[in-house]
Amino acid sequence: MRVLAATCALVLAASVASAQRRPTIGLRADAFMMWVHSDTGIARTSLRGPGFGGEGRIGVNGWLFGLGLLEGQLKPAGDAGGTGSPQRDLVQGTVFVGGRLLPWLEMTAGPVVRAYVTDSTTERWVFWQARARVDAPIVMGKLGSYLEVWRALSSDVNLPTGAGRIQGGEAGVVFQPPQQRVWLRLSYRMDDALLGGPGGNETMEAITLSGGIAIP
Amino acid sequence: MPRVLTVLAIVVAAGSRLPAQSAGDLLQQGVRLYQKLEYDAAVTLLRQSLARRAPAALPDSQRARALSYLAATELFQQQRDSATAAFRELVRLDPRYRPDELIFPPQVTNLFEEVRRSTKVLNVEVPPRTELRARLEWFTARLITSSLQTVQVTLAHDDGTPVRTLWDGPVADSLLVKWDGTTSDGGTPPEEGHYLLRVAPHPATEDGPPPLQVPLDITQVAPDTVNWPAPPTAPPLLPERTSATPALGSLAAGALAGGAVVALPALFGRSGEATGARFAVAATVSIAGIVGFFAHQPHPIEANIRANAPARAEWQRRVEQVKVENAKRRGSSRLLIRAGPVTVAERTP
Repeated sequence: MRVLAATCALVLAASVASAQRRPTIGLRADAFMMWVHSDTGIARTSLRGPGFGGEGRIGVNGWLFGLGLLEGQLKPAGDAGGTGSPQRDLVQGTVFVGGRLLPWLEMTAGPVVRAYVTDSTTERWVFWQARARVDAPIVMGKLGSYLEVWRALSSDVNLPTGAGRIQGGEAGVVFQPPQQRVWLRLSYRMDDALLGGPGGNETMEAITLSGGIAIP
Repeated sequence: MPRVLTVLAIVVAAGSRLPAQSAGDLLQQGVRLYQKLEYDAAVTLLRQSLARRAPAALPDSQRARALSYLAATELFQQQRDSATAAFRELVRLDPRYRPDELIFPPQVTNLFEEVRRSTKVLNVEVPPRTELRARLEWFTARLITSSLQTVQVTLAHDDGTPVRTLWDGPVADSLLVKWDGTTSDGGTPPEEGHYLLRVAPHPATEDGPPPLQVPLDITQVAPDTVNWPAPPTAPPLLPERTSATPALGSLAAGALAGGAVVALPALFGRSGEATGARFAVAATVSIAGIVGFFAHQPHPIEANIRANAPARAEWQRRVEQVKVENAKRRGSSRLLIRAGPVTVAERTP
């Protein structure tokens, strides 16, 4: 499934890119530490673990097309939360399209598929997400900060309770060495997904160290 | 007898027409009668023309002409004293007047010269308004005398204190006395105030002409100075220091992003619970903002300073030129001298 989605996105991006003369391409690799707090109303678990991810995007005539993928291994956090909690693997794929409306404002939308996989079950979230990102330079061309927020337009989960609203945000700082195309980023993100009914929620936090390159 | 009758007839006729005749008409008729050798009638009409008071009085030029004919007529009637009196009045009226030698015979002009030499008259003419630059331009007063006299011209305060003696010497006919607008001490312009220009025979004699004085109101006119040239501004000057706005913007960007990191769980999380690890990120972002703040501190832009240097040097050169010009103008202050009427002064012992 993940491979299929990624392939479709790549094909789409490649087809659009071929119609343009000078597309811009951005690639990013993430390493993060993640915390997932799950509260089903009956049980409360906390997991944490490292993960890796990446994102590719292409910009054509002001349009942005991109896809992202991240994977992580979550283990029970601490003694209290870890009692009886199985290890989970997190896989999330994202496809988005959008554009930079203003030099400092980027808006995108697209589907997100998130899955928590254990040995026996897979909890799968599928939702359409709208994102807005504001960039604020600190030292022009070298150092900048950004804030990105998102919210699900529709959501679904293969749990009996169903899915509620999903929203989150991310903020951080970006460093780009002078005269270089590569950049580094340190960020923090928070994503909160409610379960349907009185069901509780799943909160995901991550501190991410990213590196990227922009290809004009 | 016929002559007496003729005079009486003319006098009666003239007297009947007096109200309707101007002094000028009387003068013209008197001159015609003089030319017809009808001297009695001429004397009567000429005296009547001179007797008219303002505003119907003769102007000074015509009055001098009337006195000339009157004196000549009286002389031809063997009335030498009356002729002398008329010529004396003529000399006092206008010391520079001379009877026309083509009209009057030598016996008339000789009597006039005799009277003129014996009649001491002194007059002064001053322009009502004079503006001058001290030491460079002149205030002038014209002295007029009927005959050779020694005259002293003094500029004094209105209380009589002398400021400067402008002339002390003989004046044969007329003399233009000049004053360069400075005092005798130091050659500086006098202070503003009221002054007197005293013109007096020197030494004073009882039978000499009375001293004259002219009030002078002296003010110093501030010279117009050149305005400073406007300093060069941007544009066209290039900015020579970076703005402080980017520094504050950097600080704000870092602070807001750091605050957002801290506040994200409260803003988007259901319970607001979160790990403390985010504070490390918030601190990093905030430090980045502080770094940006100091990196954007205003500092000189050397390239722009070099580019602006010619314009600034040109401005400085113009400033120096204006300084020199203004110093020159202030050094040559102008005096405004307003003269009042000529009056007779008291005789000083």
